[in-house]
Amino acid sequence: MIKSIKASKSEKILFIFLICLSIFAFTSFFLLKNKCLFVEKNNLNKLNFNDPNNIAVMNVECGNVIIELYPDISPKAVERFKILIEQKMYDDSAFYKVSENTFVQAGDIEYGNINNLDYSKIGSGKSGLGLLKSELSNDFKFTEGSVGFARATEFDTEDSEFFITLKEIPIYQGEYTPIGKVVYGLDILTKIKTGNKAIYVLRPDYIKSFRMFNSN
Amino acid sequence: MKILFLFILIFHILHVNADEIYNLIKIPNLEIYKLNNDNNIRYLSAKGNFKIGVNKNITCDKVDVNKLNTKFPLIEKNLNRYNSNFLNNIKLKYIVFCENLFISEINTGGIADNKNRTLILDINFNKKYFERMIHHEIFHMIQNSHTEYFDEEKFSALNISSFNYAECSTCSDRLNLDLYKKTDGFLTEYSKSIPSEDMAEIFSFLMTDKETIEDKINSDKILNYKVNFIKSNLAKIDKNIL
Repeated sequence: MIKSIKASKSEKILFIFLICLSIFAFTSFFLLKNKCLFVEKNNLNKLNFNDPNNIAVMNVECGNVIIELYPDISPKAVERFKILIEQKMYDDSAFYKVSENTFVQAGDIEYGNINNLDYSKIGSGKSGLGLLKSELSNDFKFTEGSVGFARATEFDTEDSEFFITLKEIPIYQGEYTPIGKVVYGLDILTKIKTGNKAIYVLRPDYIKSFRMFNSN
Repeated sequence: MKILFLFILIFHILHVNADEIYNLIKIPNLEIYKLNNDNNIRYLSAKGNFKIGVNKNITCDKVDVNKLNTKFPLIEKNLNRYNSNFLNNIKLKYIVFCENLFISEINTGGIADNKNRTLILDINFNKKYFERMIHHEIFHMIQNSHTEYFDEEKFSALNISSFNYAECSTCSDRLNLDLYKKTDGFLTEYSKSIPSEDMAEIFSFLMTDKETIEDKINSDKILNYKVNFIKSNLAKIDKNIL
């Protein structure tokens, strides 16, 4: 005959604790996996801008990043940026160069596109529109959310690649052509996949779409 | 073969330090030492050891900040002699401080990198020659950005015909930096290594001990030609430097 053994109080507590722990572990696994969970979404229908012709909307995994462009500071660079956006050339472009909490870089049209990602050449691709002269400004401060045109070591080599700063980088002042500034969605950019301690990212995140606000 | 290539590439990628300064001048482990200066030069210091260059043949160690703080006024005083237009003209924007600078295992005071507009300086370099070394390295930046003015063949032709420079500065044993009492066309033993070092030695003495050099050229015809060569070509870039 089998006697039923009654669990002691401490055993019951331990059992309940284990159940709670497993529920917590299970839910955290799925919640934490979703990196966009606590990111604020920017609803374009609710936003108003003074100069909507110079507002660009970059859609990435966690939502919309809204950028105000500065044609008064860098007319040629902004003109090029708009052409690339309007021709949808930034769509599917990889954030291949990311430094955690420092900057994200994308826009290699030739070798940084999801359909033609080439790690041996990434960063050297061309848009086919030719190189631009650097439009440097000694007054423009690269604060958090500044958008600049990337270049090779030499000046006057800007083409299509751009970076967005995630913190103030004073050493970039006068070094890079400013394009604009992120007005909404900077926290979305902090969720872009980094290369840990490396500057290049393997299996990077991508720009889903990049459009001018007026075309939405 | 492709897998091996990818493995090497990934290994290489994973070992590049990612930060905003590396992104700009391709030297890892640096931090800002002093950013805003009248001549727009920017001072950076090594917060960790670094290896750069082809086959990582340039190595340098992190700086002791206290030591740098002591030496900095002297460095700044010498660099303040160059105005922003001149520095821009010779493509010099960043000064990187580190200790124990080696190139291919040979200790050196500085390395000029025009491509990245950077001059790396070893703050541990011999005290006796330290100030002069700064101007010596700056001359390399001047020459690299204005090869049309500082033609080595024209300069070498100023020597007596029987004299030959070494094949390269590091493959010669002519390394002494002390000023000759009797110059005979050369200010130091190191001047005899290669033409660019000879020019750099003349320029560095003109910047630090001009009177002695003016005195030496009165009795040394070849040296006189060489000094005039440097002065006249430098004046094409900036008349007020010397």
